[in-house]
Amino acid sequence: MDVLTNRTLFVFLLTAIGLIALPHSSHLPGPLVIFFFVMLIWRFMGIWYPRWLPGKILLYGLTFTGLALLYQQHLGWFGRDPGTSLFMTALSLKLMEIKQQRDIYLIAYLAFIVAASQFLYEQSMFMAVYIVFVCSVLLAAMIMINGRQANIKASLKKAMAILMQVLPLTLIIFVFFPRVEAPRWLLFEDPNRAMTGLKDSMEPGSISDLGLSDELAFRVKFTGNIPPVASLYWRGPVFSYTDGKRWMQGRHQGTGMKPSVPEFNGDAYRYTLLMEPQDMPWVYALDMPAGFPGELFQNSDYQMLTRKEPDKRNEYQLTSLLQYNTGLLQEDERVRNTQLPGAVSPKIRHLITALQSGTQLTEQLVGNIMRHFREEGFSYTLRPPLMETNPIETFLFETRTGFCSHYAAAFVYLMRAAKVPARVVTGYQGGTLNEVGGFLEIRQADAHAWAEVWIKDRGWVRYDPTAAVAPERIDQTSYFQQQFGDELAQLVPRRNLQGSFEWLKTTRELWRSLDYSWQRWVINYHSANQLTFLASLGIAGLNKMIYWLIAGIAVFTALLSGYLLRQRQKPKDKALQLYARFCKKMTARGLVIRAGEGPQDFAGRINLVFPELAGPVDRITGLFIRYRYGKAPTKEDLSLLKEAISELRIKKGYSAKAKSRFNF
Amino acid sequence: MHTLINQLLSRADHIILGKSLQVRLAVCCLFCKGHLLIEDIPGVGKTTLAHTLAILMGMNYQRIQFTSDLLPSDIIGASIFDVDNHTFKFHPGPIFNQMVLADEINRSTPKSQSALLEAMEEQQVTVEGKTYPLPTPFFVIATQNPSHQLGTFPLPESQLDRFLMRIELGYPDHQAERELLKGSSRRSLIEKLTAHMSAEQLFVIQQKVIDVHVSDALLDYLQGIIAYTRISSDYAAGLSPRAGIALLHAAKAWAYMANRDAVLPEDVQAVLPSVAGHRLKPGSHDSQAIVAPILENVPVF
Amino acid sequence: MNALSLKDRFRLSRFFRGEKPVDGPIELNQRRIFILPSAPGFGFVILIFLLLLISFVYNNNLAYLLTFLLASIFFVTILHSYQSLSGLVLQQGQSAPVFAGEDAVFEVLIYNQTATARTQVQLSLENTLSFDIAAFSNCQARLQSRTSRRGWHHANTITCFSYYPLGLFRAWSPLRFNLKTLVYPKPWQYPLPLPQTLSGAAVSGITKRGVDDFAGVQTYYPGASIKSIHWKAFAKQQGLLVKQYSGTQGSELWLDYDETSGSVEERLSQLCRWVLDAEQQGLIYGLIIPGIRLSPDHGKTHQLNCLEALALF
Repeated sequence: MDVLTNRTLFVFLLTAIGLIALPHSSHLPGPLVIFFFVMLIWRFMGIWYPRWLPGKILLYGLTFTGLALLYQQHLGWFGRDPGTSLFMTALSLKLMEIKQQRDIYLIAYLAFIVAASQFLYEQSMFMAVYIVFVCSVLLAAMIMINGRQANIKASLKKAMAILMQVLPLTLIIFVFFPRVEAPRWLLFEDPNRAMTGLKDSMEPGSISDLGLSDELAFRVKFTGNIPPVASLYWRGPVFSYTDGKRWMQGRHQGTGMKPSVPEFNGDAYRYTLLMEPQDMPWVYALDMPAGFPGELFQNSDYQMLTRKEPDKRNEYQLTSLLQYNTGLLQEDERVRNTQLPGAVSPKIRHLITALQSGTQLTEQLVGNIMRHFREEGFSYTLRPPLMETNPIETFLFETRTGFCSHYAAAFVYLMRAAKVPARVVTGYQGGTLNEVGGFLEIRQADAHAWAEVWIKDRGWVRYDPTAAVAPERIDQTSYFQQQFGDELAQLVPRRNLQGSFEWLKTTRELWRSLDYSWQRWVINYHSANQLTFLASLGIAGLNKMIYWLIAGIAVFTALLSGYLLRQRQKPKDKALQLYARFCKKMTARGLVIRAGEGPQDFAGRINLVFPELAGPVDRITGLFIRYRYGKAPTKEDLSLLKEAISELRIKKGYSAKAKSRFNF
Repeated sequence: MHTLINQLLSRADHIILGKSLQVRLAVCCLFCKGHLLIEDIPGVGKTTLAHTLAILMGMNYQRIQFTSDLLPSDIIGASIFDVDNHTFKFHPGPIFNQMVLADEINRSTPKSQSALLEAMEEQQVTVEGKTYPLPTPFFVIATQNPSHQLGTFPLPESQLDRFLMRIELGYPDHQAERELLKGSSRRSLIEKLTAHMSAEQLFVIQQKVIDVHVSDALLDYLQGIIAYTRISSDYAAGLSPRAGIALLHAAKAWAYMANRDAVLPEDVQAVLPSVAGHRLKPGSHDSQAIVAPILENVPVF
Repeated sequence: MNALSLKDRFRLSRFFRGEKPVDGPIELNQRRIFILPSAPGFGFVILIFLLLLISFVYNNNLAYLLTFLLASIFFVTILHSYQSLSGLVLQQGQSAPVFAGEDAVFEVLIYNQTATARTQVQLSLENTLSFDIAAFSNCQARLQSRTSRRGWHHANTITCFSYYPLGLFRAWSPLRFNLKTLVYPKPWQYPLPLPQTLSGAAVSGITKRGVDDFAGVQTYYPGASIKSIHWKAFAKQQGLLVKQYSGTQGSELWLDYDETSGSVEERLSQLCRWVLDAEQQGLIYGLIIPGIRLSPDHGKTHQLNCLEALALF
C-alpha cells in the first residue's frame, strides 16, 4: 500500500483543497489567491509528471516568495485576513512537499483550518453546507489513506456515514458548550467589519455586512410605566459633518455653549440606566433626558456624557420626557447642519426638486421623502452591497437597499439638499424586556441611526427613515423577530391564494423563515442567547450546562456504540430456529443436544429416555430433516414443524423419570 | 433395490461374524466407486471379507499376494514373445479383473506397490507404450498389516488417499468368537457362496448414489469439518479438497444404503472415521479416535 | 473467557505482549482491544484546539460548529476503531517444521462472523500483513518468524491492529497463541558422503535379501560405493556412473553421531544432511545419537522422526 504514489488519492485530495480554497478567492488579495492556485495546479501536474515538482532550493525560493507576498499584501501576520492568507500559503507550500503519509495528514489539517476560516467571511447556510461537503471529501481522502483500495465511492460513503453519525453529537456540543465572550484584546479588529456597537463616525457605504452582536450595551429599569417600544430611542452621538461618505461630529460640534433647555411636555419617565463597560464616555439616555445626576453632563447636541470612567459598569438615575421642543437654532448650528460636501449632483438635485414640488411645510417634504423610500422599491437588509464611491447616490438610485445608517444618511443628505437643517443621530432603538428582571436589555444589535430635522417652532424633530421601509425594525423589541416573524405568521394560513405565483411566494417566504432560523439559532447562538435559551429549558448556570453536555455525550455514546457494535449474526434458518425451540424444550427436561450431534442421533437419544414421546419426536425430527436436508423443502413442512413443536408437551413428571433413568 | 442391498448385507454378515459395521462400510465404499484399504493384524478376517464381497457382488475376482519379491509385471502382466507369430503378445496380469484383492500390500517393494496404485488412479495400465483399459467396475481391496511389523514397506503416505476408505476389523467380540470356533470353516462357507447381484445392478446403484440430494445445510457442516481439520493442531495436515469430495461421496452412499434420498449429518459422521482417518493420521490406526475431536467439536447446525 | 484478576488486568505487559498463551480461538473483545490515538490523532487534537481558539476569538458560531463536528468525529472514530477489530475471531493454524535459518511460517486464521466488513485489518509478527475481510468470511494469514536455533521455536506476540477508518486511532490487540514449530538443525552445507560402515547391521538381525531391483543410474557422487559403480558404462566411456537400486539394497545404513566430527551443532548438522540424503536415495537408515537409537527404516515418517530427534537433542 503506497499512499504516496496513489494517483486517485492525490486527485481527490487536491480537488478537495481546490474546492475549499475557492470561496476565499473573492475576499483575499488577488496575488495571494493566484499564488495559491498556481501552486495547486503545479501540484496537480506533479501527479503525472513528478519530475516537474520543485526541488529543495526552489522550494525555499517559493516559501520566501509566499511569505514576502503575504507580508506585502497584509503588512502583518495577525488578524482575520492575514491569518487566513497565512494558512492558505502554508497549505499551498506544504502541497509541494509530500514525502510521507504524515504530510498528507498535515495538509488535510491545514485544509480544515482554511475551511473554518471561510466562516469568518460568510456565514450563510449555503456556505455551511458547502464547507461540510468539502470536509466530507477531506474525510474521504483520509479514509482512502487508511483503506487499502483507493475506492472513491466506498470512502465517500464511509465518510458520509461517519458525518451522519456525528451530527447529533455535534448538535449536543453546539447547544451545551458554554460560550464565553472573548476578551477584547484577543480580537484582532478588522477595519472592514462593523460590529453594531457605536463609533464616533458613521460610514454606511463601506460596510457590507453588519455584524449582529448580541453583546449587551446597557440595561434600563423603569420605575413606573415603560414607554411604548416605538418611542424607545436611546440617544448617542450626533453627526453633523459629512464628507460625502463618512458622517462624524464636526470640529466644534457639541462643545459650544450649553444647549437651551428644551420645553418638555407629557409624562416623565424615571429610570435607572446600567451601562456596560465601553470605550467612550457616552451615556445613552432616553430621548430626551430632562433630569440627570451630577456626574453626567449634556453637550449641545443633547447627548449625555459621563465624567466617570466608561470602562467600568456604571449606574445612573435619569428622567426623560418623550415630548419636547428644543426651540431656536443658533446660526453656527444652522451652518453646521446644512453643510454638504461639494455641489449636489444633478441627479439628486432633480430628485429633490421633484420631491419638493408643491410642498409648503418641511413636514410635507419629509413625508414625500418617506413615501419615496416606501414606494420606490427600497428595502432593508443587513448585508448591503459595498458602496465605495458616492455612496448616497449609489444608494438612492442603484442599490436601494441598506440598513439604518444608509437611510439616515440619505435622508439627511436630501434634507440638506433642500436647505433644511438636518443631522444624523446614532444610538439604540428598542430593547428586549427581560421578563424575569423586569428591565430592558439593549444589545449592540439594537444600535440604530436616525435623523433629526429642525423645524421652525418645533425645534429638532426626530424622523426615522428606516421606519418607512422596515417599520417592524422600530415597532417591536428584538428586531429579527419582527423582521421575519410576520412572514412566519403569514406562512401558515394563507394557502388557498391564487396559483403558482403564490406558491413561489410561499417558497420564498419559507426560505426567508429558514434563513431567519439560521440567523437566530445558529449564527447568533452566542453567550446571551445561549443562556436565555437554556434557561427557558430550565438549564441555568455554567455547571448545569456542563452537566448536560456530559450527559448528552454519554447518552449519545451509549446509543451510537449500541448501534455500531451490535453483533449482527447471520440470519438463521427458520427451521433451525424452530428446532432450537424443540431443543430448548428438551433441555428443560434434562436432555441437551451436543454440538456435534445430528438430529437423528438426538431423536434416538430422546426415544431412549422418553419412549412415550417417540411419536411426536420422530415426527418433528422427520419434518425438520425433510425441510433442512431434503430435496424439495416446502413451506408446508415448515408450518407443520412449527405446529408439531408447539404441540409438543412434556409432562412435568417426565423430568424426574428421566433423571432416574440417567442415574441408572 | 434396497431389499437386494439388505439381503447382500445379511448374507455377508453370516460369513463375517460380528463385523456388521465394517461390512456396511466396505459395501458403501464399493457403491461410491472407491477403493478400500483394510488394515489390521493377520488372522482377523481381512481376506475373508474381501473374498466374500467379491463373490456376493458377482464380479470376477483375483487375489494377488504381495511379497517382497513381487514384481510390477506380476501385477499388471507382461509382453511375452510369441514363437508362433514372432510377435510380442501382452499377457494381462491379475489386475485385469473387476475386483482385485491386494493381500498384504505392504509386504512388497514400493515399486510394485506403486504399479498397483497407478493403475488404481488411472483406471488403465500402460505397458511398453500401449495402454490397456481396466475393466469396469474396477475395485481394489487392499489389506495391510500394521507397518511396525518387520520386513514391511508401509504405503507412502501421499498415496494413502488413493483409497477412499481405510477400515480396521479388530478382534471379534465374545459372541462372534464363540460362533467362529463352533461353526464350520469360513473357507468352506465362501466356496458355497453365489453371486447376489449383477454388474448391471451395481451400476444402477452407483448411479442412484450420485443422485442422492445434498443440501446447503449439509455442505455447511461438511465444510465445517474440513475447515476444522485444517485449523486444529491435532492434525499435521488438514483434509484436502479431494478428501472432501471423497467424504461427500461416501456419505451419499451411506445415505442411500439407509434408504434415504438426502444426506444427513449422521451419514457424514458414520463414514468420517474410515474416510478421514488414514488421511489425517497415516501413522495411527485407531480411526475412531482420530476423528473424535471433529465429531465432538464441529457443530452440526 | 475466564475473568482476569485485578492485578492481571492492569499489568502493563497485557497491552504489549498480550495475555498468557492460549490454544484455542481468541475473540477480540473489549478485554483484548486497546485503543490509543496515533500520531495523526494527536495532530487532530491540536487542530481541534486551534479551531476552538479561532472560534473563540472571533466568537463565530459556524466555526464552533465545524470545530465541534471535528471533535465529534474524533470521538466517534474511537468507536469505529474498536469496531474495526471487535468480534473478529483469531485462531492458530498449523505450522510446518523448518530448518534452522529458514523462516518459520505460522498460520493464523481470522474469522469474521459478523455482518460488518472489515477493512485493513493488519497482523504482524516479523512481517506485517493486511486484510480486507468481508462479512461472514474468513482469511488466512501466514506470518513469518526467522529461526536461528534448532529445537522448538515459539511464536512471539502476534499483534492484530487497525488504523481504519481515519488513521486517528490505533486499535490493537496483542495475541499470544501456543504456536510453536519444530526447527531442525541446519543441514550441512558442504557435500558429505554417507558413511560406509554398516555398524548396526548385526544388531538389527534382519536377514539380508538381495533385491537387486535395478532402478537406473546416476552420475558419480563422492562417497558412492565402489561396488555400485557402473563399470561397463565407464568402459564404454560414458562417464562415471553409479548404479541405483530401488528401495533397498538389503542392508541398513547407520547414521552414527560418533562418526561425525566437530561441535555438537556441527555434528547434528552433518547428521541432518545424511538423513536427508539417505531418504532421498531410498536407503534404509537408522540413527544413533547419544541416548537415542532409531532402528533402520525409511519413509517420510521415519525421516521426520529422525529429524525431530536431531532437533530436540
